[in-house]
Amino acid sequence: MRAWVRIGKKNRLRYVSHLDMQRLMQRALNRTTLPFAWSQGFNPHPVMSFASAMAMGWTSEYEIVDIRMAQDVTAEQVTKEMAGALPPDMPVYEARLVDDRKGAPMALVESAEYRILFESPDPEAVFGAIQSYMGEEHVIAMRKTKTGEKEADIRPMTYALNRQEDGSNAVIARLALTEKATLKPDLLMQVLASRAGTQAEGIRVHRLCLFGAGGVPLMEL
Amino acid sequence: MCNVSDRVDGLLSRVEKPSRYMGGEFGSVMKDPEKVDIRYAFLFPDTYEVGMSHLGMKILYHTINKREDAWCERVFCPWVDMEQLMREENVPLFSHESRTPLSEFDFIGVTLQYEMSFTNILSALDLAGIPFRAEDRKNGPILVGGGPCAYNAEPLAPFFDFFDIGDGERSTDEYLDIYAACKKEGASKEEFLKRIAALQGVYVPSFYDVEYNADGTVDSYTPREGTGAKPIVYKALVNDLTAADYPDKLIVPFGEVIHDRIMLEIFRGCTRGCRFCQAGMLYRPVRERSMERLLELADKLVAATGYDEISLMSLSSGDYSCLPELAKEMVLKYRERRVRISLPSLRIDSYVKDTLAETQKVKKTALTLAPEAGTQRLRDVINKGVTEEDLMRAVGDAFDEGWSAVKLYFMCGLPTETDEDIDGIADLAAKVRDRYFRVPKGQRAPGLRITVSVSVFVPKPFTPFEWAPMLDMDTVIARQKRLKEKLSAIKGVDFKYHAPDVSYIEAVLARGDRRCADVLETAYRSGCRFDSWSEFFSMDKWLDAFRACGLDPDFYALRPRDEGEVFPWDVLDCGVEKRYLLSEWKKALRAETTRDCRKGCTGCGMKRYEGACV
Repeated sequence: MRAWVRIGKKNRLRYVSHLDMQRLMQRALNRTTLPFAWSQGFNPHPVMSFASAMAMGWTSEYEIVDIRMAQDVTAEQVTKEMAGALPPDMPVYEARLVDDRKGAPMALVESAEYRILFESPDPEAVFGAIQSYMGEEHVIAMRKTKTGEKEADIRPMTYALNRQEDGSNAVIARLALTEKATLKPDLLMQVLASRAGTQAEGIRVHRLCLFGAGGVPLMEL
Repeated sequence: MCNVSDRVDGLLSRVEKPSRYMGGEFGSVMKDPEKVDIRYAFLFPDTYEVGMSHLGMKILYHTINKREDAWCERVFCPWVDMEQLMREENVPLFSHESRTPLSEFDFIGVTLQYEMSFTNILSALDLAGIPFRAEDRKNGPILVGGGPCAYNAEPLAPFFDFFDIGDGERSTDEYLDIYAACKKEGASKEEFLKRIAALQGVYVPSFYDVEYNADGTVDSYTPREGTGAKPIVYKALVNDLTAADYPDKLIVPFGEVIHDRIMLEIFRGCTRGCRFCQAGMLYRPVRERSMERLLELADKLVAATGYDEISLMSLSSGDYSCLPELAKEMVLKYRERRVRISLPSLRIDSYVKDTLAETQKVKKTALTLAPEAGTQRLRDVINKGVTEEDLMRAVGDAFDEGWSAVKLYFMCGLPTETDEDIDGIADLAAKVRDRYFRVPKGQRAPGLRITVSVSVFVPKPFTPFEWAPMLDMDTVIARQKRLKEKLSAIKGVDFKYHAPDVSYIEAVLARGDRRCADVLETAYRSGCRFDSWSEFFSMDKWLDAFRACGLDPDFYALRPRDEGEVFPWDVLDCGVEKRYLLSEWKKALRAETTRDCRKGCTGCGMKRYEGACV
């Protein structure tokens, strides 16, 4: 049996790195009485994985950690125990139990929705560029990879893009997030701003949701 | 000032390791500032990673936060990149928990662990916009220092309002009670200091007039009339460690800190009487925590932190009276939960084979031994009650049990040391290597590693060597070179040592007087900070600072002291009496040893304290 736990990462903790998150989660599990499973081998560790690594500086309300249990547990038990074991700025929203045969959340994620806050000399121009961007079939951008820069067509990786309707300088974007194709919010904002003839800086990314096949939120998949 | 937190956030994306400024760790204590009377900032004058590894801070954080009327928060020195940004953008030094500017606290409690962190204290005050000199702070935070260097904090005296000498668990509560009353009455800082001056352990430096002799030595310390200051300040002492406060939860950092594990202090003090060791004198007498209490604390801490390692802490863990039972019980108890037990600073003569076998079930790290000196003669001088036989037996046991890594710690520059003693270090290393190859091939663990680590000896106050000069740097360098050549002839030995200049400045500050405060301030203003980090230490800046203040550093570091000299720290009493230290100094020069006082009282003076050594 496995449990999927959805947690958040609030502003104050946005510089906890992915590596630190893994250590933090292992210690948090140790603080619970949950019957989580240990890996075999020389350095046993709890069997767990994250749906998606977050970049340093991002916040989120939709991080999913998949934890293998050695014995049966209830979702309520998992929610309650994890909530007591994580720091206050890492809230636990919900947990669900999944069958062992279900794929790892990492393999099931297809896209993510973000709220992207930005600063710009001309924010209206950035918003204005949304429509023309979405109207294109292809938008080629230089994407930074481990080996250098690479051309990529980012338009097909942009599933939805809208202005946040509350007066703040923010867009809501649903972007591809798979092993093969991932569009990072920073790159999207750079492209949008440059199409608008301005800059977008001070970008703050907040993850709203992770989706699987058919645009179904991961926790409901 | 209103939104320090947002301004801190604005800097974090631009610095290395931002998580160390973030706060919000599991276990950090949050309180409503409206509901507490006393805001206490515990300042560790080094980086987060170093400070979060410090046991004393964990204890006092717990002790102060147990009070309903007080909130203790943590403050660390920002690394240089963050410091620069904070200066550029006028972000004041802030607490981790609530991100309150340091200047808004009632107290700033500074732990004085190491002389080379002194400039960081000035750096912290500067970043907080707090005047350095206590006399310039009629209002604002009260600066209190504690920890080992508070036993001679004279170079810091003008900056601090008072020092709290000895065990802080109870004395902190005592002065906070008085402060709470003073605050209610609206009493002045001066009035508060007068009231606490009567407390055991409290030393208010501004209440003493210091006279110097023509030769620069101290003539006298005289308590000023009407201040209530005592002629001699006795250290605060907690006699019953089992009953004393100890945290049952800890802050668990996000990033990796230096000691990232549960620290369980099994006892305080040491009975060995090694003559170079300041801690061995300052923390007397030995006080053990009961095994029941330790097991209870371990249980609570494992559950509250989720750590997978417990470190049994003390000055000499092998001396804990039920160590084999304790180690065995803990290893068995936590094996299921995959919690490792580690025993640091084990002395070789108490290294029990049984324990060795138990610990390796969990994890096999390098065996660390500290013979400290290369010949029996010199080990007798320093009263390191360890023989070559003891050392070889411990190493042999370890090799037989399948260990292959040994770390050997020594000092260079001990009183009476000669080249022969240095050669003795190389001889010992060679013998350790031979012992490894005596284990039959196939039975011994592969990959022999012997690390010989040699530090430079710094004479410290309240030790029998407080009269001794530090060895001059040229001779230290010559001996290091000699040893390096000798060791390079032995395969599998790694030699670690450092340039002696940091130790030289440490030696000056360790036995410095009040006049050195000007040097500290000058050095800080010329850019000195993080002096214990080799990439920042600048000998030239320090020497310039001494010159600018008209003080000769050799006077403090290299001068042999006369028997009758009055020391700047004579106003304090650490339990061990000066006459005892002097007799130990004379015995040292004759290479005579003194027994471990567990085998019979040696009359150090600790018994003058009520309830001690019973």
